[in-house]
Amino acid sequence: MRAAAIGVALAGLGIATYLTVVHYAGGEPVCAVAHGCATVQASDYAVLAGVPVAVLGLVGYLAVLVALARDGEAWRTAAAFLSLAGLGFSAWLTYAEVGVLHAICIWCVGSAICMALLTVLTVGRMLRAGGEPVSV
Amino acid sequence: MSKQAVLERRRDERIAREHAERARETHTRRLWRLGAVAAAAAVLVAGAIAVSSSGGARPAPPATNSSLLAGIPENHGVLGDPKAPVTVTEYVDLQCPVCARAAESTLPALIRDEVRAGKVKLDVRTLSFLGPDSVRAARVAAGADRQGRLWAFLEAFYARQGGENSGYVTDDFLREVSKAAGVDASLALGQADSTFASSRLERADADAARMNVQGTPTLTVKRGNGPERVLKASPLDAAAVQAELDREAAR
Repeated sequence: MRAAAIGVALAGLGIATYLTVVHYAGGEPVCAVAHGCATVQASDYAVLAGVPVAVLGLVGYLAVLVALARDGEAWRTAAAFLSLAGLGFSAWLTYAEVGVLHAICIWCVGSAICMALLTVLTVGRMLRAGGEPVSV
Repeated sequence: MSKQAVLERRRDERIAREHAERARETHTRRLWRLGAVAAAAAVLVAGAIAVSSSGGARPAPPATNSSLLAGIPENHGVLGDPKAPVTVTEYVDLQCPVCARAAESTLPALIRDEVRAGKVKLDVRTLSFLGPDSVRAARVAAGADRQGRLWAFLEAFYARQGGENSGYVTDDFLREVSKAAGVDASLALGQADSTFASSRLERADADAARMNVQGTPTLTVKRGNGPERVLKASPLDAAAVQAELDREAAR
């Protein structure tokens, strides 16, 4: 479960890195859905408190990877927290794409899927971690 | 069964009960922790959504190339202080030569004296009835709107306006206009076929029909959330427009 979570987090990190590079390069993401990525990236929703959302995603995936690299109850809890927060914000952004901008950014959808998978894996890992030793 | 065997069986049963109880306690504790983590994440996301919805502390777009527009905020195509009590909406077609003249004769005074003072905010509806060049221009203007630089784009477009439907609205022309307006040309042109651009054109047509706009340019005025009405003053007569707006403000 941990290895799978690391794999998914790396995939998400790749997407976030690509979108960050495109953001600062001033280009337009390669997008299967006609111009949806450019519309989303140029919108108000692409920046949160002055910070590009792509950068927030990059930092978020890095933080999840750090939490996954360590073991122990606290780190498992941290990974679950970060994934849940990431999933919540991804859900909001997906709503903004569909409901407000009427444009779909396939990279953002990919990141949202990564966050959903990460949430399942990290929450599962947190709940199913080996129990404390029982004294006899 | 010997007494020893009975004791061992009872011991095993006790250990099994303790194991089960510990496992239950651990599971319950983790569920509580998950609840707390989910609640904390929800609070964090709610905060982020609140900032995102309000536009947050997003830095203002860079100053326009024109000193006329420099420093005036533009939000979703509306130029000026969002709290300005009066909204003036201009119905234009980017190919319309009279619109270009109005942009030179009337808008500068309006922007300098009313918009900059926070008394009026300027909205615009880019119609596209003159021909295919109008459609293409209005769509790329929507892309500039996305970048918070619609008014700079309109100004730069009018300054380079060609003959109606002469085919001058090429991608190269639009890139030149974008560059002069400080608009990312690739993004703006890329968004020309977006659903956002389509919705902007549809909104312009619908509002023009609702206001019974008979030609361009047409100026309308609205106080607060009150009804929108067409200005009687000629859009080319800056003094008459100013006087009518003063009367509106005094009402």
